[in-house]
Amino acid sequence: MKIFVCDGSFDGFFTAVFDAYSDKNCIITSDNEVQLTLDSVLVQVETNREKSNRVKKGIEKYDKESVYDTELVLRSCSSLKEQIAFEYIKRLLATKSPIKNAYNLPEVIDFNDLTYKVKGETHRLKGFLRFMESASGVLYAPYTPDNDITDLLMPHFAERLKSERFVIHDLKRKIAGLYDGHEWIMSYAGEAEVYLSEYEKAFETLWKKYYIAVNIAERPHEKQMRGYMPVRYWKHLPEKKP
Amino acid sequence: MLDADRLEILTESAKYDVSCSSSGSNRVNGNRGLGNASVGGICHSFTPDGRCISLLKILMSNECIYDCEYCPNRKSADVRRARISPDEICELVINFYRRNYIEGLFLSSAVFETPNRTMELLCETVTKLRKVYNFNGYIHLKGIPHADEELTFKAARLADRMSYNIELPSEQSLKLLAPQKTKQSLLLPMKSLRDAMIYDRENKIKINRVLPAGQTTQMIIGASPESDGQILKLTEALYRNMGLKRVYYSSYIPVVKSNKLPDTATGLLREHRLYQADWLIRYYGFDVDEIVGEDENLSSEYDPKCAWALRNMQLFPVEVNTAPLSTLLRVPGIGAKSAYKIIETRKFCKIDFDNLAKMRIVLKRAKHFITCNGKFYGSESLSQVKTSLLLAGRSEVTEQLNMFSETSTALSALTGEI
Repeated sequence: MKIFVCDGSFDGFFTAVFDAYSDKNCIITSDNEVQLTLDSVLVQVETNREKSNRVKKGIEKYDKESVYDTELVLRSCSSLKEQIAFEYIKRLLATKSPIKNAYNLPEVIDFNDLTYKVKGETHRLKGFLRFMESASGVLYAPYTPDNDITDLLMPHFAERLKSERFVIHDLKRKIAGLYDGHEWIMSYAGEAEVYLSEYEKAFETLWKKYYIAVNIAERPHEKQMRGYMPVRYWKHLPEKKP
Repeated sequence: MLDADRLEILTESAKYDVSCSSSGSNRVNGNRGLGNASVGGICHSFTPDGRCISLLKILMSNECIYDCEYCPNRKSADVRRARISPDEICELVINFYRRNYIEGLFLSSAVFETPNRTMELLCETVTKLRKVYNFNGYIHLKGIPHADEELTFKAARLADRMSYNIELPSEQSLKLLAPQKTKQSLLLPMKSLRDAMIYDRENKIKINRVLPAGQTTQMIIGASPESDGQILKLTEALYRNMGLKRVYYSSYIPVVKSNKLPDTATGLLREHRLYQADWLIRYYGFDVDEIVGEDENLSSEYDPKCAWALRNMQLFPVEVNTAPLSTLLRVPGIGAKSAYKIIETRKFCKIDFDNLAKMRIVLKRAKHFITCNGKFYGSESLSQVKTSLLLAGRSEVTEQLNMFSETSTALSALTGEI
């Protein structure tokens, strides 16, 4: 069985779909440490814009949203994301019409599970992301999302913080979205050293005070709090730090 | 800058207001200012009581000239008092918003000096936020009864949502418990705002539109003798005639000793049932008469949809592969999302029970009321159905009540605001 290994980019995946499509029994992955079985053969996929565009055009013909949806799935932290997207695309090309609401198909259920998770985390972090003001006035938000969603958050914050400058830093993937007050770009970003503005501590303290005061202590329901705001997000929330 | 003490007093006075939603507005950031609204609303944090923080919910002042029987901030109560200025509020909102702590402001106040003076300062705050700070985030403002209409409209053209709390579900109860507020002082501004919203919509007015996210209200349940049927009739009228977006219920807890008030707390189950019924009215096509009679109360054993279905067993089971959406919505256990999924999926295949399970549709209630391709997996006898539904409901209710485990020590679920 052939295992197509792509570079993890969107174009890399769509190129792999192009190369693998005629192969009835193969796997696509971007995981270099993929478990090999006895009969498996590794094929390194060389990313090719033209092949990628042909696949995108091909699936958009049957469902206009399919490229966008696939790119959501490819942002997922699931190690099976490429395979799940591949199965979905094969089914879409066989059906020749939109399948996203066909909840009876296992390919669709798996695919929708991942788009749901990526969209869900993006929505959550629109709320849970926290900026701190640096001495230079730039707002800085470090975070560690499960999925690779920084470029999905950037337009949202660029719209609301229109005349601010800000950085959203994914510490796990070492990438950051940068906004200069006009445009945003994505960039590599290792460790960052941030000098806080003189007001930062004061507002953070008021916020923590507010968080305690607005709680109705006589009606504890921590389980619900954890359900809506999972503990893994707490480390970047000032109100959850001592 | 605002000091932590006043922030604490004025937050604690505001925290019992139920509403924290930031949804329904599509305000855009058109002037390179700060903020915009998100139609679906965004929760920014959750407190250990399980509630969300979306807006900075705060009173401008808790110094009140009124002496409403049930209110912890009433004139005669002995509590710490504080006030904050419009500028202090603006500074806090802007700095919290920039750090993405909040989605906007929920500003309310006790009535200090006069209703007009109070409303003037609320107006000044909102005006400063919008015009001086170019703030386009969400603003929910409490309306002050007896304030001039001119002030009300000035505020309504700048806020996203306003609410006048009707407080009690009947005029008699309002007279008895909050004699300084009258039904007219609450309903008249609601009506004129509704008319202005309709006017703006019909004339496609986009700039400074009156309340893009509409109006809401809140009432106390169990401080006065009204039945669930009466409360829901009022709710239905508020939705259908007054065009409200939400009616919030808050169950009564005695904190104030008074011979006009009961000494026992209203169970939170009652509040929960009222919300379930409220949802059936708004999203599931039910009329109040189908859910509960005028002088009746909702069942505590079954949720209102189950109770309705048990009274109307002749309508069931329905076939999921052919039933129209309006019928699917009436099946206990099938919510709006599930009904939509069923409608979409059956374009692709004949649905069987296995498909429903894979679509993550919960069948413990629904199975008694549906067939899939003619197959029925529910209980045959009505008494078995009832037992099974009771069991399904009980775990949920226990969960719901755990949420409010120590109600006896809880402060009032009422607020110091109008």
